[in-house]
Amino acid sequence: MGLFRARQRWEPGPNDSTVLSLTEVELELLQSMPDDMRTVLLTSDDDPARKRLFPRAYLDPTADAAETEWRDAVYPDLVDQRFDALDLVAGTLTRAVVTGRDHEWREITLTAAEVQAWLSVLNDVRLVLGIRIGVSDDEPPELPDDDPAAAAWEFYNWLTYLQGSLVETLLGDFDGSDLLGDDLLDDE
Amino acid sequence: MNHRFVATQLVSTRLATAPVEIAEPEVAEVTVTDKPWIVIVWNDPVNLMSYVVYVFQQLFGYSRKKATRLMRQVHEDGRAVVSDGPREKCEIDVARLHAAGLWATMEHPS
Repeated sequence: MGLFRARQRWEPGPNDSTVLSLTEVELELLQSMPDDMRTVLLTSDDDPARKRLFPRAYLDPTADAAETEWRDAVYPDLVDQRFDALDLVAGTLTRAVVTGRDHEWREITLTAAEVQAWLSVLNDVRLVLGIRIGVSDDEPPELPDDDPAAAAWEFYNWLTYLQGSLVETLLGDFDGSDLLGDDLLDDE
Repeated sequence: MNHRFVATQLVSTRLATAPVEIAEPEVAEVTVTDKPWIVIVWNDPVNLMSYVVYVFQQLFGYSRKKATRLMRQVHEDGRAVVSDGPREKCEIDVARLHAAGLWATMEHPS
């Protein structure tokens, strides 16, 4: 599918905007994302993916009274803000501009708030997809190309790439080796 | 780096007025004000290491070094204490971490 075409995906634009570049295929793949996530938000509390988005606060399994009170206080906002982020992202998907010598790119200019919405939606989609396809710390399974799960894994990996490049953009002077270097661990 | 989690403010606003229930037995109440609650972030296979660093910096104002150290502790030990304080503060911190998609819980060390 050629999803990993080399190009800086998130670039600074005018007036503190960020320009997201997608291929036509990628844009198409993302179109259903907001509605898919809305469906997850509206599904039953027992759904494992939904549970992952809204975990317990109190580790103590007997602290149900405290848990209920906490949930009553924060849950409406936690749901609302996810819907708000989806609305923002869905709005941006409608204003992609065709660019490139061969008209191969779709560019979306994003405000800072829209960038944050993209960040949280990409992360939420990966959390949900991760539950559905069984992402773990183990190596991903070897799947034949015609296995439906193979496409889901490819989409998941591409979302990881897209979110990862966004985070690196937001971190600014970020160097990937910082994550594992020992020199950072000495002091504050 | 002035991006903020918009929703975080919503959560904080609502929680600020939420009543707080003391669930501990009476004996423990004496120590509630002394010993802080702690907020723990747990390892999960989906959240990117770089994203976790970013979230710790944004939510708690931690330096890159401190955020990275905490992220690595989560990654290597399976969990890390990322904040502490009064119960109400920890409840807000947990909600903000959940809003960012991190797996966080709170507890009171006895």
